[in-house]
Amino acid sequence: MPEDTVIAVEHVDAGYDTPVLESVSFTVRKGEVFVILGGSGCGKSTLLKHIIGLNPPLGGEIRIMGDRIFGGAPAERERAMRRFGVTYQSGALFGSMTLLENVCLPLESFTDLPHDARYLVAEMKLEQVGLKEYASYFPSDLSGGMKKRAAIARAMALDPAILFLDEPSAGLDPVTSAGLDRLILRLRDTQGVTVVMVTHELASIFAVADRCIMLDKKTRSLIAEGSPARLRDCPPNAAVQAFFNREAETAPDPQRPASPSCPNLVSPKESL
Amino acid sequence: MTLTLPETCSSERVAAFWRQVMPDVARLGAGDTLTLDARSVTVCDGAGEALIVELYRRSAQQGFAVACQDPDKFVTRTLGLFDVARFTEDPSTVNPIRNTHTSEQLGQAVVHIYDDVCDQLAFLGETAVSAFSLLVRPGRLRLRDTMLHFERAGIDALPIVLLIGFLLGLILAFMSATSFRQFGVEVYVADLIAIGLFRELGPLITAIILAGRSGSAFAAEIGTMKVNEEIDALTTFDLPPITFLTLPRVIADTLVMPILSMFAILAGLFGGVLVLVSIGVPAVTYWQHVIAASSLGNIFFGLLKALVFGLLVGLVGCSHGLHTSRTADGVGRAATAAVVGSLVLITVSDGIFAVLSFILGI
Repeated sequence: MPEDTVIAVEHVDAGYDTPVLESVSFTVRKGEVFVILGGSGCGKSTLLKHIIGLNPPLGGEIRIMGDRIFGGAPAERERAMRRFGVTYQSGALFGSMTLLENVCLPLESFTDLPHDARYLVAEMKLEQVGLKEYASYFPSDLSGGMKKRAAIARAMALDPAILFLDEPSAGLDPVTSAGLDRLILRLRDTQGVTVVMVTHELASIFAVADRCIMLDKKTRSLIAEGSPARLRDCPPNAAVQAFFNREAETAPDPQRPASPSCPNLVSPKESL
Repeated sequence: MTLTLPETCSSERVAAFWRQVMPDVARLGAGDTLTLDARSVTVCDGAGEALIVELYRRSAQQGFAVACQDPDKFVTRTLGLFDVARFTEDPSTVNPIRNTHTSEQLGQAVVHIYDDVCDQLAFLGETAVSAFSLLVRPGRLRLRDTMLHFERAGIDALPIVLLIGFLLGLILAFMSATSFRQFGVEVYVADLIAIGLFRELGPLITAIILAGRSGSAFAAEIGTMKVNEEIDALTTFDLPPITFLTLPRVIADTLVMPILSMFAILAGLFGGVLVLVSIGVPAVTYWQHVIAASSLGNIFFGLLKALVFGLLVGLVGCSHGLHTSRTADGVGRAATAAVVGSLVLITVSDGIFAVLSFILGI
């Protein structure tokens, strides 16, 4: 395994009772923004739930910075779990707590910091996502975009090495969504955090992703891997082409080659 | 004073360091200099950054100078990321909701109660209008939904209603038989059980069970629908939520209550006969006394009460569901309020029935 690998997913069968994905393997490298793509129902969120330790996969192995989430010793799992923060589609902020208290919660549980230090750390995290002025607000007083940013601040409270984002742009307008993309890149650049994102917002993918994988419902497998520009300009099959060209899905066959045939373009971003 | 920052400025190390150094830092004043030695720092996470911001914040507040040895720019980077001047207030004290004055809280409570009463009255009015409009266009009632709620509130509740009714009759018989036996009139326990169950305890205990089962379920179901914007969707389809959601539930609850109540009463009577037979009263004598005490007036009075209790439980459950706030804890609060509200209204209306029966001599 390369030294800069932070997440290794090896031959994972994803699903609850029956697999929706079979033998999926990929790695995520340190400091990159990695996007998991795919149409609705292809198993993106199920795979994410396996990676963040909510549900065990049906087969295969997942390692976070070398530690197994499932199948290892409890201490190994605990070490792995401490290394990442997660934001959920809805934000999942606790409605009975202010934003500051929401961000303080993981600091209270996992650190021995004094009371004033905890609150200062929480306030600084809110400052980083531009919500310091809203520290005393309750989640119900905030817009959708602000909730997402507050959820990111909470996920970053313990300075995790990896940040998982489940559909961060869902339900947001393009301007708010672009602001969120900039925040993700800033966190990556200033904190050195590795970001793993599940999304199907094309604008967000092109704005932030260094690398992405695409999952397919029909073949229940990983059908493409690479930079978004490469997948768009040189799609390996019809399903990827349909996704990036926003073609109406009439069940494009991932085993059929893309048409017209690949022009072997190398995107300007990659040529740099 | 010289502070040598730890090599690893992470939350584990900073927690102890913070407690150790801050009392000394608090004693510094104008004219003092704090030398911050960051030469050995190799890692600095959020807690380390907070420590640096806190030291500079105190420097601004207490007036001491800070001299920094920071070859790897950990301090400089932190000060670049965070404007210390923006962190002058203790954030843990910033909470507008919890710092309100008692008089303000009292005022808010009064306004809240007034709003609540207005909401309930508006709901009652809307429900009455919808119910009358059903008389004109009965086809608007969703019969399938009504039957579904009838099944959930009635048939599904039957085992618990029978069990509680049976135990109630058993306990009532035991308690009264002990006293009646002293006077040799234990046979009249049958009269007490029959009158007590038909007029009072049968409808009351069934209404309490219904409030716990259906009232809370109605509030939670409708509340969740509101949180999921399903109520808004109904409104945009010109389907009034009252007709679509409330009436089937209220009608089901109102109709099912007298039936459930009768089952509870019958189960209670069977509980009573067991006790009386065990203390030597013949079963035939027991049933003769029960039939004699169960006048039509008693039975209809009990059924009328059950009908009203069912109506109240349905209305209160649906009302609290429709007025749920759009948060996760809002649904829980609505369910609790539905049960509490139903119990209060059941008790109050039971009292009114008692006064009416006294005045009318029923």
